[in-house]
Amino acid sequence: MTFNAAPIHADIAALLPRLRRFARTITYHREDADDLVQVAVERALMRSEQWEAGTRLDSWIFRIMKNAWIDEIRTRVRRDHLFAPEAEGEHVGDDYAEAHQQRMAIQKAISLLSEDHRIVIGLVLVDGLPYKEAAEVLEIPMGTLTSRLARAREALQGLLSDQTRSLP
Amino acid sequence: MSKFSDDILMAFADGELDEATRQAVQQAMRSDPAIAAAVARHQALRSDVFGAYAGTLDEAVPQRLQLAASAPKVVQLDAVRAARQHKTEPRRWAWPEWGAIAATLVLGVAAGSIGVQGLQGDTQLALVAGKDGALMARGKLAKALSAQLASAAPAQGQVRIGLSFVSKQGSYCRSFMLAGAAGLACRDGDEWKIPVLAESAQGAPGDYRQAGSALPPAVLEAIDQRIAGAALDAKAEQAAQRGGWRR
Repeated sequence: MTFNAAPIHADIAALLPRLRRFARTITYHREDADDLVQVAVERALMRSEQWEAGTRLDSWIFRIMKNAWIDEIRTRVRRDHLFAPEAEGEHVGDDYAEAHQQRMAIQKAISLLSEDHRIVIGLVLVDGLPYKEAAEVLEIPMGTLTSRLARAREALQGLLSDQTRSLP
Repeated sequence: MSKFSDDILMAFADGELDEATRQAVQQAMRSDPAIAAAVARHQALRSDVFGAYAGTLDEAVPQRLQLAASAPKVVQLDAVRAARQHKTEPRRWAWPEWGAIAATLVLGVAAGSIGVQGLQGDTQLALVAGKDGALMARGKLAKALSAQLASAAPAQGQVRIGLSFVSKQGSYCRSFMLAGAAGLACRDGDEWKIPVLAESAQGAPGDYRQAGSALPPAVLEAIDQRIAGAALDAKAEQAAQRGGWRR
C-alpha cells in the first residue's frame, strides 16, 4: 500500500456537495440520497487503496455510488420494498415562485425515468461530466453512453411535455 | 432534416464535438432554423435540469457526511458518538457490509487461514481462538493492551493503543491497531477478549502516525455499543493500568 491516507480524505470531503447533488438525482428521497453518499464515502475510504492516483477521484466515487444504488434497488425489489417515487412537487404550496415549481417539475419528471436514464442524466446534465468520464463511471463504451443519454433526454422531454399538457 | 443526426446536435449542446464538427453545426444552425431549434431544445433541457439540482450545492453538508469523509480521530470519538445519538432517524437501509467483513476476518483468523489482506504475520501471532470460539489477545498484543498507554508512540509494526473506556458490562475495553487491522479488546478475567476486529484501510503497515488516527466504522460501532459514559482520560487510563485493569 503506497497511498497516503490524509489527502484522499480532504479530497473526498471537498466532493461532498457534488456527491449529494448526484445522489439527489438518482434516488427518490432526500434521506436516501444522504444515506447513499455516506455509504459511498465509507466504501471509498475502505477501498481507497484501489483508487489509482492520477485518475479522477470523482468518477471513481460516482461509480461506487452508482453501484451501491443499483445494489440497493435490487435488494428493495427483492424485498418488495421499492416504493413509488415521492411526488415532491405535489406537496409544494401554491405560493412558491414559478422557478421553484419548474425545478420541482423537472425533479419529478426525472424521478419517473428508469434507473439507467436517471443515472446518465445525473452524470452528464446535472454534474456536467464529459461523455468520456461518464462512460467510465458507467463502465460502458462511448457509443452506448451517447445513445443512452439521447434516449434519456427524449424520455425526459416527453415526461415534461406530458406535465405541461396535464396542467389545468 | 439535415445532415446532422440528433446525437450530433446533442453533443454540440453538451460541448462534446471536435472543433471542425462544432463549426459545421454552427454554420448549419445559421442557415436552418430547424437545426437551431433542435440545438436550443437540447441546451434548454441541459440548463433546466442543471438548475433543478443546483441548489443542493449551496446546502450545508450534514455533519454525519463530513464525519464519514474525515478519518474519525480517536480524540473525537465522543463527538462521533454524540452525533450518532442525536441522529433522529436510524439509517433506512442497513448494508451488511461492515458486520460481514468483521465476521469474515474473525473467522479467517480463528480458522488459522490468514488469506485476508491486512491480517498477516504480526496479527496472526497476536490472536488466538479461545475455548468458546472468541478471539483472545496473545503475545505482544496482550502485553501492549495490559501495559501500554495511549500516549505511547510505538515503533513501526508495534501495537498502537487508541482509547480506553469502561463498558456497560463493567469491564475495561481498549481499541487498538496492529498491522493493518484495528479492533476492540475487552477485559475478561485476566485476559483480553477481542469482540471485533476489522481491516483498517488507513493502517498502512509502517505508517503508524496515520494508523493511529482512524478506526474502521465496525470498530467505532462496537465501541458505541459498549461504552458507558465517556472514554478514560490519561489519568484514569494510567490508574486503570496500575490496577491491572480489574474493577
